[in-house]
Amino acid sequence: MPRKDFIAIDNFSFSYGAAKVLHGINMDIPEKQVTALIGPSGCGKSTLLRNMNRMNDLIEGVQHEGDIRLDGKSLYDPNVEVISLRKRVGMVFQKYNPFAKTIYENVVFSLRVAGRNKRSELDDVVERTLRSAALWDEVKDRLHTSAFGLSGGQQQRLCIARAIANQPEILLMDEPCAALDPTATLRIEDLIRDLKEQFTIVIVTHNMEQASRCSDLTAFLYMGELVEYDRTLKVFETPKEERTEAYISGRFS
Amino acid sequence: MTTPHIIREFDEAMDRLRDQVLGMAGQTQLNLERAMDALLTRNIDLSKVVIADDNDVDELEREIDSLGMDVLLRFHPVASDLRVVITSMKVSSNLERISDHAVNIAKRAKKMSKRAELPETQWLEPVYTLALQGLRRSMQAYTDRNSELGLSLDTQDKELDRIHKKVIANLSALLEEGGERSEDFLHLIFVARSLERIGDLAVNIGEDAVFLDLARDVRHEKNREDILSPDTQEPGEDAS
Repeated sequence: MPRKDFIAIDNFSFSYGAAKVLHGINMDIPEKQVTALIGPSGCGKSTLLRNMNRMNDLIEGVQHEGDIRLDGKSLYDPNVEVISLRKRVGMVFQKYNPFAKTIYENVVFSLRVAGRNKRSELDDVVERTLRSAALWDEVKDRLHTSAFGLSGGQQQRLCIARAIANQPEILLMDEPCAALDPTATLRIEDLIRDLKEQFTIVIVTHNMEQASRCSDLTAFLYMGELVEYDRTLKVFETPKEERTEAYISGRFS
Repeated sequence: MTTPHIIREFDEAMDRLRDQVLGMAGQTQLNLERAMDALLTRNIDLSKVVIADDNDVDELEREIDSLGMDVLLRFHPVASDLRVVITSMKVSSNLERISDHAVNIAKRAKKMSKRAELPETQWLEPVYTLALQGLRRSMQAYTDRNSELGLSLDTQDKELDRIHKKVIANLSALLEEGGERSEDFLHLIFVARSLERIGDLAVNIGEDAVFLDLARDVRHEKNREDILSPDTQEPGEDAS
């Protein structure tokens, strides 16, 4: 039975120095579903996403209050090692960023870092992961060529493959299609629908149609507050809050 | 919603859509009034006007569908904007069918006006009054997004059905007696049938108004008394 509060965000606030960008966010993100975070630029959606694998730790002067729990355990527990956490929580960024290596080496990078170098295991991971990322058929005959030889959409799918190679539980995606053409975007969206069978996915998007097409739940954030969080169809058909309707309808000043 | 859209063209297209539906409703109502006037006052010229004006209603239906498709394609409306587009297209389809019934009435009025006056024609007046009232109220519900008024049309339609049945029974009895006016009684039965169908179509528009207002599909729902209760409005599944 998938857990309804797989990622439990509990009264979470976050500041960059004196600038408070998230204000007491409460939301439970269910397991093996796609949850979209939407809202205008600067609303805090990417900050919230990046807190789910503590990427903001790298920034000086940040502070948080409240908690984020992953499968019941606090991400901020002193015993949590950030490296281990990131193995559980993969991330895909807006601009595809394959390493200057072969397709094969991009996929197995995290395994090699973890000291797993057995050829047969790596071969299995490459095939399984590239199949999951809907890329295997397109690249199986050129696995040992440069990743830069792929199209933009293929490079992004390779980055998704790299993010899931280590079998994380959660996949965070920060505007994963922002730099892609419409066809590549639809391929990624199709992939997201497939991947939710295996992973819990949280996606930040500025594209309302994308949120409505590929997410199960949608959260609307505005000025660091969670305004509305519900099933995606409900949010796009009958939002409860006027601010949500104004934003998704394009009537936001 | 009064806040303007970021894309001004979207607001203009939505305004145009609403205006077209209201224009079509006006023309449809006029067609019905003229058709019944033609029947009751035996006015052949008026019958011809109704038959000719139906083309305008057909054209408006096509324009509304085209405009609705255009808005869907270009602007991807959501939430209440999406309901405005869908509802407008559905209302226009119901209006077109009402106008077709008005034409049927006008054609029968034209035929009956060439023959001797039939006093039983007046029996249709109460059926017509309720059908016209239904059409007016349904459009009021749509314009004002008034779900309460939209839902009330079903109750009113039951009264129309009751009177319609009575009129049909009386006309059928006369028809069974035979005689030279049998064909005219048959015309009146079909006119009554058209008026009853107009009542049903007004109920449909009322249901569209409820969908527009509450995002609630009440078609085929038997117990409508509880629909406006806050406990039964559009159950949204909790996210958590």
